[in-house]
Amino acid sequence: MKYVTSIHEREYIIEIVDERHIILDGTPYDVDFDSVSGQPVYSLLLDGQSYESYVYPSDEGWQVLLHGTLYPTLVEDEREKRLRAAAGGNIAEQGEFRLRAPMPGLIVAVLVNEDQPVEKGDVLVILESMKMQNELKAPRAGMVTRMRVKGGDSVEQKQTLLSVV
Amino acid sequence: MFNKVLIANRGEIAVRILRACRELGIQTVAVFSEADRQALHVRYADEAYLLGPAPSRESYLRGDKIIEIARKCGAKAIHPGYGFLAERADFAQACLDAGLAFIGPKPSSIAAMGDKAVARSTVAKAGVAVVPGTEGEGSLRDEELLTMAPKIGFPLLVKATAGGGGKGMREVRNLEEMPALLHSARREAEASFGDGNVYLEKLVEGARHIEFQILADTHGNVIHLGERECSLQRRHQKLLEESPSPFISDDEDMRQRMGNVAVRSAQAVGYVNAGTIEFLVDKDRNFYFLEMNTRLQVEHPVTEMVTGVDIVKEQIRIARGRQMRYTQENIHLNGWAIDCRINAEDPYNNFIPSTGRITHSLLPTGPGVRVDTGVYPGFEISPYYDSLISKLIVWGETRAEAILRMRRALEEYKIVGVRTNIPFHQNLMDSHRFMGGQFDTRFVEERFSMEAAEEGKSTHPEIAAIIATLVAHEQTQRAAHIIQRGERDTSNWKWMSRWERMQR
Repeated sequence: MKYVTSIHEREYIIEIVDERHIILDGTPYDVDFDSVSGQPVYSLLLDGQSYESYVYPSDEGWQVLLHGTLYPTLVEDEREKRLRAAAGGNIAEQGEFRLRAPMPGLIVAVLVNEDQPVEKGDVLVILESMKMQNELKAPRAGMVTRMRVKGGDSVEQKQTLLSVV
Repeated sequence: MFNKVLIANRGEIAVRILRACRELGIQTVAVFSEADRQALHVRYADEAYLLGPAPSRESYLRGDKIIEIARKCGAKAIHPGYGFLAERADFAQACLDAGLAFIGPKPSSIAAMGDKAVARSTVAKAGVAVVPGTEGEGSLRDEELLTMAPKIGFPLLVKATAGGGGKGMREVRNLEEMPALLHSARREAEASFGDGNVYLEKLVEGARHIEFQILADTHGNVIHLGERECSLQRRHQKLLEESPSPFISDDEDMRQRMGNVAVRSAQAVGYVNAGTIEFLVDKDRNFYFLEMNTRLQVEHPVTEMVTGVDIVKEQIRIARGRQMRYTQENIHLNGWAIDCRINAEDPYNNFIPSTGRITHSLLPTGPGVRVDTGVYPGFEISPYYDSLISKLIVWGETRAEAILRMRRALEEYKIVGVRTNIPFHQNLMDSHRFMGGQFDTRFVEERFSMEAAEEGKSTHPEIAAIIATLVAHEQTQRAAHIIQRGERDTSNWKWMSRWERMQR
């Protein structure tokens, strides 16, 4: 199986030959790869060199935390890569932005009203969690709509608080 | 003399105090909220009693309930730890009124130092230099503060008089933005301390935050245990502390001068038990009294590592009315200690707190390493309390050895289930500015970023790529496997026998 894996716009062609062998950009390596007691901590022996890292799934792909550095990684097989190239770039700046609670907590204040125009960086909501007040800001300019919370509400993680269109 | 202590706290500090009691042969009583039934301090204590629901207002801040529990279970002393009720004079007084020893200072000292504005004027009267500000003015209204601000000069800080930990603190650059910042500072102070009073203080630029540990007994002995360097902060929350300070280092004269001022400040309020005098030190090595923390500090272990003094045991000894085991001549700083606060927060996502269940944890061990923790695999990090999950402390003969040891320990430390700031500390350990001791209180916020720190470092993107690919591959294979297995997930023989049984 052949994969194209990209980190910070650099692409690596990685072919998984079998459980013990891979080819990285044309160079073959012996691998021994295992998760540590079923956890998202992985141990890799690559031609005898030992590495340990965390691997987290993310919206875009995988996050690999290795020796205190975080690598945002996208792994695609060749078919997926072709599909994405055909679909063109993504459309992040369009449509509705839903402000979600990054953690469970208490809404201290909602600083905007329904139908209020906001600029990028404006504070929308103050969320208290772990004794800290966190300011949740608008990621882009737009109009506030679909307000779902008010001051004093308790919210769960990832709960949608309001939208910006 | 008491032989049973109630610990009115949770998390790593409750465990720390339990350990001291255990070593002294003292019985221990834990209290806990509904969210903390599984917590380590409940498991380690000899006795444990439920306080109430998870929010601290209904549990760890319920002084009345805590005193009631102490009375019922026969504990004769209360250790408040830090945070919660530790700096509440009314609670300390209520303990004394109930015939309980409060392991900490007298209520009058807490009151004198607890109101930061009163504290500044008290020590100023004793001849100690303070940062210019609105000390000794009592509580002021917004209009008064706005009139006084230009006289102090910008930039300045709005601080909560009941404050601590950066809550209710705002930096003001000019008069125009001040009203809004006053408002948000008061709001946060009100929420955190139930007291919205604030005062102003000139912002010393390029400042270092250096504090002195004080011990005082009821026999009139007051000593200091040297300094701690606490300049590495983010949003006024300390992240890393060390002792000694690389800024003072072998300037023994400066250490003794600051130590003497610290002792004098403590004496100005008739201080007893453990406390900390915080100083701001400017570029020209002038130092100003900032505030006194009338409690055990989070970062006390670095002092313990270099002085060999067990501060919590000494606190208990003092509360029992005995003399300290040390005089100033006994105190020597040996080697170097560094403490990294391990918080459940994501350094790659604006340090947003991370909650969830810790599924796996591997603690660093080996020479010169100490971990004070309140969590274990299976424990749930809830949003109700602060995000400190443990403190990683190392000792080395020199600062360089301590840094190398900290690097090693951070790499060993594995916590799975919540995001932690361990990668932040790893990058800090690699920072040349940190290694050279070239930093002030704004370093982390203004001149340090995770991305920049990772730029010059030797990295292994190809290894990360291989690991991610192997994980993705494994997942695809597993998914394919599940689909192939179809409806019958066991052998045909088993399936047949089940089918037969169903037909009976």
